Amino acid sequence: MPLRIRQILVFGLPGPLLVVSLFLGPADSIRALEVMQWFGAGLGVADGPENAELVGAIVWDIRIPRIVLTFLVGGSLAASGASLQAVFRNPLVSPYILGLSSGAALGAALAMATARLPVYPSAFFFGMFAVGCSYVLGRVGKTVSSVSLVLSGVIVSGIFTALLTLVQFLTDPFKLQTIVHWTMGNLHNADWKKLRDSWPFLMAGFVGLFLLRWRMNVLALGDQEAWAVGVHPEREKILILIPASLSASASVAAAGVIGMVGLVVPHMVRMMLGPDHRLGIPACFAFGGGFLVLVDDLSRVLTAFELPIGIFTTLVGGPFFIYLLRRSRLGWEA
Amino acid sequence: MIVKQPDTITTRSRLGRGGPPSDRPWLWAAVAAAVLALVLGLQRPVAAAPVQAEDFRGTTIVLPQPAQRIVCLIESALSGLYMLGLKDRIVGVPASVYKESLRPYYEALDDRIRSRTLPAPGNWDFINMESIAALKPDLVVLWAHQTEAVEVLERRGFPVFGVFLQRFDDVHREIRALGRLAGVEEKAQTLIGLAMEERQWVRDRVRSSPGANAPSVYFMWAQGDLETSGGTSTVNELIEEAGGRNVFGHLTQEHLVVHWESLLKADPDVIVMWVNETRDPSHVLVDPRWRSVRAVRKGRVHELPDIFTSDLWTLKYPLAVLTVASWLHPDAFVDMDLTARKMSFLEKLYGSSAVARVAARAIAN
Repeated sequence: MPLRIRQILVFGLPGPLLVVSLFLGPADSIRALEVMQWFGAGLGVADGPENAELVGAIVWDIRIPRIVLTFLVGGSLAASGASLQAVFRNPLVSPYILGLSSGAALGAALAMATARLPVYPSAFFFGMFAVGCSYVLGRVGKTVSSVSLVLSGVIVSGIFTALLTLVQFLTDPFKLQTIVHWTMGNLHNADWKKLRDSWPFLMAGFVGLFLLRWRMNVLALGDQEAWAVGVHPEREKILILIPASLSASASVAAAGVIGMVGLVVPHMVRMMLGPDHRLGIPACFAFGGGFLVLVDDLSRVLTAFELPIGIFTTLVGGPFFIYLLRRSRLGWEA
Repeated sequence: MIVKQPDTITTRSRLGRGGPPSDRPWLWAAVAAAVLALVLGLQRPVAAAPVQAEDFRGTTIVLPQPAQRIVCLIESALSGLYMLGLKDRIVGVPASVYKESLRPYYEALDDRIRSRTLPAPGNWDFINMESIAALKPDLVVLWAHQTEAVEVLERRGFPVFGVFLQRFDDVHREIRALGRLAGVEEKAQTLIGLAMEERQWVRDRVRSSPGANAPSVYFMWAQGDLETSGGTSTVNELIEEAGGRNVFGHLTQEHLVVHWESLLKADPDVIVMWVNETRDPSHVLVDPRWRSVRAVRKGRVHELPDIFTSDLWTLKYPLAVLTVASWLHPDAFVDMDLTARKMSFLEKLYGSSAVARVAARAIAN
């Protein structure tokens, strides 16, 4: 398939998908025809449905904020994952490699257990704090090697996971259940407020990555090569880590820990469009957003009750990732 | 002795042969033995017969005598033990009774909790085996699904009563079995009768309500706005006993997270919130996502007052039923002092006015 067509598919598909998603919902909810009538009435070209108030409440208050937030979260995780894979020159890196998910989960758990902190800022702050700890601990002298950073990320992640477990252990069953549900991904709680709170951070992270995307190509070559072309690799790594962590942290704070998207989508995009991050970062954002919206559509339509989105992304993304591994077309051989 | 001796002799000579047993030492010995046996008998109870009951795992627990040292690590079951009047036989309690939300009630029931001297060797999720062993219990009450802990305790020779409650009848079954194992079965029956009587009273009131139909109810757990219970749950029974209809009663799960859209479509008449630290009805009433729901439009959003008095897993459940029924069918309870009724019920259950006094504020709400 020509590259141009593939580009159109990656960038163009999310649009129609978002529109179609507006018409999808649980079987016991409203029908697609009623949604169409509601939009028709809004545009003044048709009569509204009989249950216009209900349809309006569902489409406007529930579906639109959820779909938009899902798209932004999916896009941010994918763009963040792609940039970190470039920084660490490691195809198995995800946005959570520096302890971000366990830090955010601890923040959220503390907020839920004590009921004295707001969940979103707490998750965001602790997520960023964990990344900061990983960076400081991984720094040897004035340099931060990828290996030491990944190792410190593993240690920090372990510590925050232990603290999370401690909070879970000490909390009562009701709160424990809330914490566990949160860590599995919770897009079902999306609303306009959450969207308003999240989108500035999500977009700021993405814009930062977008502006730095060409530097990722240089870093992906290795530190020596970066020096050779006049790029300071350590400085560039920090510059990229900040927006990558910002967008991933905002994603986790808004929707809980959603696995696989930040790991699998960059590989999918690389398969389709090649390893160039100038195209890859915006493509990851568009495709990652679309991917998560699609998975969320499945979770909304298939069951009469909410299943945490993190379960679906892992069930869908995991086998696909294994398929990609077996095909060995991950774009790292190039 | 010296002073009395002549009297004895005098009496003996006066009565002569065929007189009192003093003439027959063997008879004296027999009387003395009988008296001794009587005295000893008063001091030591007659060896008790073994007791047995089936727990919620389907295991028959056999005790050589009624339980005298009970470690109970389930708060709801502990409540039942206090109702059964077994305070003095409780040697270990769940750590949750020392939590702020429950402690005042248990302090009213037991001075050892007030002085923090009653050991808490575990909770629903963690058990300190060493502490339990040190308490030398002859009965341990645990959740039936704590299989690993149950096995370890049983291997060490501690009889374990496993509990699993899904319906109000299970509460009755639990109390009956605990009553049997503690040798107070009659008391257990009385308590069960009390709860059933109260439940029936609510039922009758609701039925007598003019034009009573079953309003649709959405029950919201504290974990989140979308967390509710399906048809196989005590919550479903609570709603039905209170004269309502669970909007998600057709779903089989005990606990589930529903779709917002399904909830809006179900459009419940009343929303009943479980005790919630972070949200209360005022939050729901102003939340834009809820605004199309009939219950919100009509302001019929209620929150159960507190965990102890709203407990669905003890014989106190009629209190929650009555509270919800009064929200669903306010006409059925016009001019009735429900607070006094609830206080009186609580007093009868625990045999103590102290608990009712602590509960007064929550009940009045």
